[in-house]
Formats: sequence, structure tokens, C-alpha cells
Amino acid sequence: MNTSHQHTDAHTPIEGRDEAIEFEILETAVRELSIAKGLFSAEDHRRFMEWYDNIGPTGGARVVARAWVDPQFKQRLLADGVAACKELGIDWMAPTGHGTPSDFTWLVACENTPKLHNVIVCTLCSCYPRPLLGHSPAWYERPNYRRRVVRWPRQVLAEFGLIIPPDVEIRVHDSNQKTRYIVLPMRPSDTEGWSEEKLATIVTRDTMIGVAVPRIDWTTTSTPSGQARAE
Amino acid sequence: MSSTLYAALLQSIRAHAPQERHEADLPLTISQRRAEAMLHVVHDLGGQPDGPLDKSLHKTALWEKRTHCTAECLAWRGVWVSEERRRRENDLGETLYFGTPYYARWLLAAAKMLIDKGHITPDELIAKMEEVRAREEDAA
Repeated sequence: MNTSHQHTDAHTPIEGRDEAIEFEILETAVRELSIAKGLFSAEDHRRFMEWYDNIGPTGGARVVARAWVDPQFKQRLLADGVAACKELGIDWMAPTGHGTPSDFTWLVACENTPKLHNVIVCTLCSCYPRPLLGHSPAWYERPNYRRRVVRWPRQVLAEFGLIIPPDVEIRVHDSNQKTRYIVLPMRPSDTEGWSEEKLATIVTRDTMIGVAVPRIDWTTTSTPSGQARAE
Repeated sequence: MSSTLYAALLQSIRAHAPQERHEADLPLTISQRRAEAMLHVVHDLGGQPDGPLDKSLHKTALWEKRTHCTAECLAWRGVWVSEERRRRENDLGETLYFGTPYYARWLLAAAKMLIDKGHITPDELIAKMEEVRAREEDAA
């Protein structure tokens, strides 16, 4: 807000009011009117807010760690992602009993190999495996990522600090209403003897989007010394 | 109007009309490249040129979280479906599509949908917003 031209009459705008507050007012109005008209109930909204608070990338990390230690589970995950998630208590049918309206319940896990690296995007909006990874990071929703990763994946990954060797193929998966993707990264070679729980700590959100690969010194709660997190 | 005057008028109009407009009125003569540009929809971003990424993150605001849940509840109870929400966001137009935060698109689409389908009137929405605004200001 430009403070150098403020009026001093009764119509002076309130200090600090910005567009976010306007959206806050509009959201409250839309929600309260919808409830007053009986379009949905306050209880429906409360249940959705609870679901929203409980999703996050730790679900995806558990699925990847299980796939690393249990080859049979990995096969089931590659065959039917949603059913495999259910085995670990991650229910794509929550919170309505038939899934969320915006997340169609079909998940494809894309396995990285020494010759293939996968990365996910949604060029048309911001489709994302929400029940498994929580809400998408802001850059995933921004036009820049959506525009460029399908045409210049190697360059975009390099901007994230991930250099993919020229002999490794990069496959970009464009998410849509009917199909959601998750990247199944390769297990780092220096993790022999690690427990499933310990393995899960190195499976960060970005490794399941495909803009990073797991490293033993880069966990969900700590980063290598002297290196700042990109976020 | 005499035919000479009319011809002069036409000539004058043609002289002032932008060349672009003149060509666009004749769809069979435009290049493939221009046709593609004209038919390109606002939300179809894949492969479009752009600069470096902005990788910054922000903490989700309460209104963003509530907007997500409000839009989903409206779909859960059959007022719209998510495809309709996306279509309405895409149809907000280039200025709003690129000029507003991500969840503002959800919210504007929801408000317009409620009005379009007759669930609320614009007057009701404005009155409600004023009520909420007054309440927030009292609380502040």
C-alpha cells in the first residue's frame, strides 16, 4: 500500500489491509452463505479441515521406505498405488468415504532406475497426490514450473541442484484429474542394514516429486552442514 | 451518401484500421503459428517459454486452507464438480488467472458459481461481505 498519499478523512483505508484480507472476507462470506443456504454443513467443513491438517509427505515416505525393504509390496505398489497405500493406513477414500472431489483415486508409482529418472508436474492446474504427499509446494503451482519442466526437464532439475547424467533418460509425468503420480526414488547404496523407519527419514517430499534424490545426509528434519535448504 | 464519398470513407477507415485486425478477419489467410497463438487457452502452460523458477515457499494462510475445504465441501454435496471448478478458474481470464494467488482462483470461481446457479444473489454476497468486514474490524 502506498503510504505517502493517505487521506485523513473518514474513508482512510485501514493500515495493513491488503488483498489477502479481502480474500479472507470473501471466503468467510462464501462459506457462511453456503452453510446458511444448506449447501453443506458446518460439520462437513470441520471434517474437511481436519483431513487437511492430517495429510503430509510422511505418508509418501512410509510407502517408499516399505517398497525399498519389501519387493512384494513394491510390486503391489506399482500395480495399484491406492490399494498399496491402504495397507499402510493411508486411505484415499478419506474424508468423504469416496475420496475428495478433486483427487481422483488412482495412483501410478513411477520407479527410478539407474537409466531412468522420473519427475511429476501438472501443466494444466496443480494436480498432486494430496492424500499421500499433502499439499503441493508453492513452486509446483506456479506457472514457471508448469511451463518449463515438460520442455526443459534437465535444465529445470539443474535449477533444483539435481544434475541428471546425459545417459539417463528423464520422463516427465503430467498429472491430471484421473491419474496422480508419485516418484519411487532409488534407495541410496550406503543404507544397508537401515530400518524401514530410518529409511523413511531420507525420503523427502522433493524426492517423491522427482526434483531431488534421497541422500543419507539430507533428511526430513536435517540438512547437510553448511548447505541451506532450498525452501 | 454518394458512392464517391462512400468509397472515400471506406478508404479512410481502411487506412486507420490496424493491419492485424484486417488479417484476423480473414481466418483462412492467417498463418498456422498465429492460429495456434489465438486458439491457445490460458491454463495450458506446458512447454510455454518462461524464465527461471521462483522456488520460494510460503506458509499456507488460513483463508487458503478454508477456501480449499469450502470448494471441496461444495463438490462433496453436489453443488459443483471439480472439473467445473477448474473450468471456471480457467475462464476467469488471463489477468485474474496469472494475477491472483492460487487459491484466489478457487475462491472467485466458487463465488461466481454460487451466483450463476442462483444459490445466492450478488446483493446477498455484498451484504454478507460488509457484515464480515464490520465484524473483523470490530474484533481488530
